[in-house]
Amino acid sequence: MPAVAVHADVFSRLVDSVVRVNGMPRARRAYVPTPVMGKAPAELRSYIEGQDPVHGRPFMAELTDALTRPVDQADLRGVELDRSAPRLVDADTEDNLLRLFEENRWTDYLPIVLPTEERVEAMMAGTSRGRDEMVGSLRPTHYREAWQFTVEKVAVNAVMAGARPEYLPVILALASSGFSARISSTSSMAAMAVVNGPIRNEIGMNAGLGALGPYSHANATIGRAYGLLSQNLQGGSVLGETYMGCQGNSYAYNSLTFAENEEGSPWRPYHERHGFALGESAVTSFQVWGNVWTEGLRATWEEKVVAMLAAMEPFLGTVLLLDPLVARRFVDLGLETAEDLTAWVHEHARIPARLYWEQYTSKNFVREDADLGVEPFATYASAAPDDMLPVFQPEKIQVVVVGGSSNAQWSAFMGGPLDSRFRNNPDDPPTVSVDAWR
Amino acid sequence: MTKLTVLHPTGLPPKVTGRGLAPPLEALAGKTVFLVDVGFENSDTFMTELQGWFRQHEPNVRTNVVRWRNQHAPDPDLCNRIRAEGDAAILGVGT
Repeated sequence: MPAVAVHADVFSRLVDSVVRVNGMPRARRAYVPTPVMGKAPAELRSYIEGQDPVHGRPFMAELTDALTRPVDQADLRGVELDRSAPRLVDADTEDNLLRLFEENRWTDYLPIVLPTEERVEAMMAGTSRGRDEMVGSLRPTHYREAWQFTVEKVAVNAVMAGARPEYLPVILALASSGFSARISSTSSMAAMAVVNGPIRNEIGMNAGLGALGPYSHANATIGRAYGLLSQNLQGGSVLGETYMGCQGNSYAYNSLTFAENEEGSPWRPYHERHGFALGESAVTSFQVWGNVWTEGLRATWEEKVVAMLAAMEPFLGTVLLLDPLVARRFVDLGLETAEDLTAWVHEHARIPARLYWEQYTSKNFVREDADLGVEPFATYASAAPDDMLPVFQPEKIQVVVVGGSSNAQWSAFMGGPLDSRFRNNPDDPPTVSVDAWR
Repeated sequence: MTKLTVLHPTGLPPKVTGRGLAPPLEALAGKTVFLVDVGFENSDTFMTELQGWFRQHEPNVRTNVVRWRNQHAPDPDLCNRIRAEGDAAILGVGT
């Protein structure tokens, strides 16, 4: 049975690309102008009665012709693609290779270290794993094909990022997670990588003063390696094809990579709260969009916390990054564990149902759960407009302690572990072992 | 000038096997076309307007607006229903 897909025109290159990697020379499709969201029924009707902006013909003619137009044998048969890449790039001068890497979009447009055989060999000393062992697979979105990769491929990207061999277990763990740091979402998220356990101090990661800034070789280059390996090992992060972020995100340059300040925290470390033993090392991959900053917990702290979180998207969650001074102040206020803080935020940070259901991700994703009868969202869907609903479910609230206590700073990032429906594999845990890759 | 040998940084793509298009219809007149709202914001309104266009301009094409159950997963029940009751499908639309 023939089927035709209607797309917004901003996706035309992406559609061509997805069609090709699904083994089809062409697909039936028609385009309307961007955007569709927020348009009144009359405006959408004008799209239908207007031109297909990609094909330059009346939209309805393109749509109905797609179902009745004759197709050739290639269309009926499909096409096979074999895109295997060689292990080595053709030998060339340093300048030419650097230009080649940039032209092929294998870099982040900052200078890279060329992955010579000697440098990759030296990097391999950072793990006991064999160079040909398979690490995992990544893809830019759940509707594209996943690409696989070996330990050596990860080491190549670690060299390019300027990482040292002793960082390789953390980088391999991130690569193995199935969570890309170059996800193609129109919403422009970036990855955040939080490292826990003994490996933090063994390799000199920064959990204190300036931990989220450019003040640690390990933080900077592990995070950069996570980005480079994501784009290169998943089959690209190419504007209009495999990356559609509207504004992009400068956090993506080093994937917001830092260590938790376990020594300064009054609470159990993040990884221990998520299934790891205290002596183990692990790394967690979050996806974040942006943050709200504040200082201290003053007399009006409860109102302040609620105000900071009220504008966030319930579906996306929040990651609270607290300096140790703030975490200890929460303890003084009676929130003795990180779980207590999570419960407090769930209970007290609320917004009216009319705002909850007007948020973009509530309309597109939470509503879907509500329609399927998933609680509490099905109940939320029948709430009166001014009923107050929790902004976040408890599993959407993450707490990490980081900072050097020069200030009682803390910030709330919008984001968290990627929702299972968008994961490479739905059961992939966001916190993975580093020790497994030593 | 000295030439360097460096390793290729990209991953290992899966082999893509061919997937063909279904044969087209000879004409839409007298056929049943399912208009599938895939669940993005306003795609329901778009499909309702599209149904309105067919009713006004192509009244001999039967249309049926349906909702894809979960936009991020297959919906085999809906696909089976469309195969059983329909002749063609139009799906859309996001952003």
